Amino acid sequence: MFELILNVALLLFFVYTLAFHVLEAPVPAKVQRNPYALQPGVWPTVLLVLLIFLITLNIIKLIRQNKGKEGFNLSAFLSSIPVFLKSKIFIGILIVVVASFLLEPLGFMVTSFLLLFAYGLLLGEKKYIRLFIVCLLVTIVLYICFGVLLQVNLPRGTVPFLRNFALFLVQLVS
Amino acid sequence: MNLGQLFLSGLAIVFEPSMLLMVLLAVVLGTVFGALPGVSATMAVALGLPFTYTMAPIQSIVFLVAVYCSSITGGSISAILFKIPGVPSSAPTTFDGYPMAQQGKAGKALGVALVTSALGGTFAAIAMFVLSPQLTQAALSFGPSEMFAITFLGLSILTSLDSKNILRTLISGLLGLLLATIGQDPMYGVQRMTFGSKQFLSGIEMIPVLIGVFAITEVLKQTGETKKLNAKDGIGGGKINTEMPTWKEWMSIKWVILRSAVLGTVVGILPGAGATIASFMCYSTETKLSKYPEKFGTGIIDGIAASETANNAATGGAMVPLLSLGIPGGNAAAVMMSALVLKGVQLGPLLLINQPNYLSGTFISMIVTNIVMVFVAIMIAKMFAQILAIPYSFLGPIIVMLAIIGSYATNMSVFDVKIMAFAGIAGLLFSALKFNSAVLILGLVLGKICEGNFSRAFTINRGNLFSMFNKPIAGSIMVVCIAALVYPLVSPYLKKMMKRSNKANK
Repeated sequence: MFELILNVALLLFFVYTLAFHVLEAPVPAKVQRNPYALQPGVWPTVLLVLLIFLITLNIIKLIRQNKGKEGFNLSAFLSSIPVFLKSKIFIGILIVVVASFLLEPLGFMVTSFLLLFAYGLLLGEKKYIRLFIVCLLVTIVLYICFGVLLQVNLPRGTVPFLRNFALFLVQLVS
Repeated sequence: MNLGQLFLSGLAIVFEPSMLLMVLLAVVLGTVFGALPGVSATMAVALGLPFTYTMAPIQSIVFLVAVYCSSITGGSISAILFKIPGVPSSAPTTFDGYPMAQQGKAGKALGVALVTSALGGTFAAIAMFVLSPQLTQAALSFGPSEMFAITFLGLSILTSLDSKNILRTLISGLLGLLLATIGQDPMYGVQRMTFGSKQFLSGIEMIPVLIGVFAITEVLKQTGETKKLNAKDGIGGGKINTEMPTWKEWMSIKWVILRSAVLGTVVGILPGAGATIASFMCYSTETKLSKYPEKFGTGIIDGIAASETANNAATGGAMVPLLSLGIPGGNAAAVMMSALVLKGVQLGPLLLINQPNYLSGTFISMIVTNIVMVFVAIMIAKMFAQILAIPYSFLGPIIVMLAIIGSYATNMSVFDVKIMAFAGIAGLLFSALKFNSAVLILGLVLGKICEGNFSRAFTINRGNLFSMFNKPIAGSIMVVCIAALVYPLVSPYLKKMMKRSNKANK
């Protein structure tokens, strides 16, 4: 059912894109007048039409294959949502997404430590002190390797006190 | 520049102390990544990217090629000792490698795997060195029609290879091509499909997407099914001594090695096909050609030699279309291409004319890598128990952090890190939908080249599609493309018809 819902969502997205977003700026008059120019909207339009056609076929195939099967209904899908929300994969997704948003305000050092620690816990690490030390060491090694040796300008954070803290850590490590 | 001069210039590039040290580091990194289950060769190359940001383009390609070649070899270590292929292309190595390990011949199995990997890789490097200039000469006469046809060939072959899942594979390829249209069109700069976001104006940055799909998706998958791999699970508690087979044994597999090296290189050259297909194809070919096919799968060195020679030969093969046509032969080559394009390198026929040192540097570095790799892999195999003692609760988060750094360092942009995170989730959803991520990525990488060449060919041929492909090379390639796309659709009906006619004849 999940597969079917995702396919339907993709279909709706493609239809919406085809209707409103293929071209978002006027085509220059020179290009419009040239009968031999491939108009900028043609290639994505062809791709979207093909995708809509193929996704529709896939939806029909999915319905035919699963028709009458136990669990192939909306209520079974809805009841599986709470289970997914408690799963390790979902928490893993959350950690990665949150880390990608925290990188700018918190800076590299703090984000790296928090991500390593949180993901380590998620993956079942129970020796908290060992995990804490490893996360700290890995953060420092990564910073020295990329920030110092390879001179990648890693983010230092925008929140004032966290930026100061990150700068303090950077100075300490450098 | 002739081949001799190219060879000498390659020696001058690679035999610098700093370059040799870099190759050594890359080999260690690649072998360890390859040996770790859950880190594919493409992921290893993607995780190697942040190390290359401060390097010159030539150093970057040498580094990434060394990581790529050695990760393929590293995959054989866990395949033999744990029956878990470190990289997908080592899967056929488990068929004979693990039974040999169970019989107490783990050392010999590893010895065969490492040496045949080096032989396959070296053969392919020589083939690349000889073939790339020829292909470049031919490619110089190619127009947009031919280039479009070649690009399209890569996608068609990849689509046809997954014949059981053709509908989903086609959707994956088209979706990749569609993602490549985000931003401005390649001919006139008209804004398309940005959904109002200024950050999409320059298109989707490929490296964060590649890292997301190949690294983050894999870590998320492992998160859901974490199995603590312990050295004790394997043969000999992970303590290994590598021993070489006898001269007689080597002689018995010499034709296996040669056949697999040739076939592996050819498969590697084909756009879209890669090391995994090469190793499976060579293993099954050797099973058919062998005088003792019943012994395959029971623990014989022929099986290991076929698989490992082929997958390493494919690495050199994959570099041929990348260097001479600017078209990646597989996912790892696509990652390398993205990294080089970012550094302003124009891959394609003119590269070997204007900057032949890329070919010579890559060639010599591949030879050096394949030699160094044997010794490094032996040492890593001996330390494998310690490497595997790293719990995934440490390794997984470190991979995520390397992925974050790799995505960020591309443009020093936090937005790219967000793209990477969403690409990772999209990769997971793709996997749930049973779509093909490899085809999506190839579509994304080839999308702009495909559209740009199609558009140019369309204008040159005054909008006449027939005239576009009414040329010997472009026309022949398009026929192959159509055959590759149509064959999986019609093959079930053909088989049915064959069965019916056979029954009628009986």
